[in-house]
Amino acid sequence: MEHSVTVREITKQIIKRFTFIEILQGMALTLRKMFSRAVTIQYPKERRHIAPGFRGQHALAKNQAGRAKCVGCGLCAAICPSQCIHITRAKGQVDKYEVDILRCIYCGFCVEACPYGAVVLTENYEYSDYKKENIYMKKDKLLSNWDKYMPGKKGEEYFDKFWRPLSEDFGTPPGQSVFKGKKE
Amino acid sequence: MDINNIISPQLLDAFIKFGINVLVIILKIVVVLAIGLLHVAYATYFERKVIGHMQVRLGPMRVGPHGLLQPFADGLKLFFKEDIVPANADKVVFYIAPIIFMAASMVNLSVIPFSYGFTIADFTISPVIADINIGLLFIFAMAGMGVYGIFISGWASNSKYAFLGGLRSAAQVISYEIAMGLSLVGVMIMAGSLNLTDIVRAQEESVFGMFAIPQIVGFIIFTIAAVAETNRTPFDMPEAESELVAGYFTEYSGFRFALFFLGEYIAMIIMASMATICFLGGWTLPWYITQVVPFINYVPGIVWFLMKVYACIFFYYWIRATLPRYRYDQVMGIGWKILIPVALANILITGLVKIIMTMYGA
Repeated sequence: MEHSVTVREITKQIIKRFTFIEILQGMALTLRKMFSRAVTIQYPKERRHIAPGFRGQHALAKNQAGRAKCVGCGLCAAICPSQCIHITRAKGQVDKYEVDILRCIYCGFCVEACPYGAVVLTENYEYSDYKKENIYMKKDKLLSNWDKYMPGKKGEEYFDKFWRPLSEDFGTPPGQSVFKGKKE
Repeated sequence: MDINNIISPQLLDAFIKFGINVLVIILKIVVVLAIGLLHVAYATYFERKVIGHMQVRLGPMRVGPHGLLQPFADGLKLFFKEDIVPANADKVVFYIAPIIFMAASMVNLSVIPFSYGFTIADFTISPVIADINIGLLFIFAMAGMGVYGIFISGWASNSKYAFLGGLRSAAQVISYEIAMGLSLVGVMIMAGSLNLTDIVRAQEESVFGMFAIPQIVGFIIFTIAAVAETNRTPFDMPEAESELVAGYFTEYSGFRFALFFLGEYIAMIIMASMATICFLGGWTLPWYITQVVPFINYVPGIVWFLMKVYACIFFYYWIRATLPRYRYDQVMGIGWKILIPVALANILITGLVKIIMTMYGA
């Protein structure tokens, strides 16, 4: 019994060797693939479909009145794993809000941390430049990004669908008294 | 003044005839070179395209529609690139090497016949530049010459990668040349000639129509050896990118690199033409096809020749897209332990069959 198995094995080996059967199988595969559709996306002409909720370049959200929602609480800067958000406040205003984009890892923690939904990651991913300074995002640039990439309802929908500011789900119940700040 | 006083009419006739012959040869050279170079240009393009599609990519797409002008863009780029010579290179030899390599492969174009001769006003024009009786041997000899270019370039570059590539190439080409030569001996026995036109004629008159059928073993050996001989995947040891950067032409740039590139592709076209002429019936079709479909006879032979050559070249692309590189000892093992013994056995059997057939007058 065992003898016949080895004989069969040997014949199999010989057939494999002298008919190039495995090479022919491989060649059949490559020939089939030649007539299949190429997966290449010809970048400047064609673009990859951007999935909703894509995490691209940052923007600072504006409210209805067109002013920045950001209050400069610094939660985004605190949670940022790569420490690339720099905020300073002066005279009760957000004085500086800068994102060092070259260090950003696009984790989206800043968006998640923000209680006001004031910072977003837009769908823009084409912002390479020859100079580092042009990529370093300052406050006015971040605000203009909002107008550019999140026009109209898009920004709000983006928040509702993908980020839902924590304040919406975990806000204080309407009846409860809260400290609303000093009366002017 | 009468022209007959200066030169006799016979001599004048001879001169004119000679002049026309020279002109015809020059014209042939120009045509063959131009068409050959155009083929090389588009061989690179189609190689990239075919392999691209086999790997589910697109290949060149940007220059011209579907990248059709890519070869010219590449040529221009190579032409205007900086020509770098390594500091401690053996300069003279470094300059000569690519020329030897390219010339050795280009000169083969002169003995490849493309069709039967045709007659225009008393002049028989055979579509071969040099219709020599040792055509097959000449191609072997020139393939052997090409190794000098490779080996010298590896030596002169003063670079370890180039040197290793050159050594590997020398070893590989020499071993596979034996197998290739032996595989063609069967064809020589069957055709009884070394002249490439005669080999094609012998195939046309044979029962099978092409030698690839009775000489199937020789054909397979020749195909494998031709891939190894032209240093293409899966036997691209001399230029193994993952091991030797680019092999023997690592240190070459710009136009000198282009010469190597040109030589390699011409060698590939030559090998495809050799397979076509020696095994696939050249520009003729087997009688069992022409008799079934008679109107096929009106198609000029060169069309069949080119189609067979293109099929062979496509086959080379195809195996390049499919097979990974063999290990160096495997390459040598295949060459010496399998191909050469099988080729020798093939010669023996072919010879015996030939002797028996002539004895019984078949």
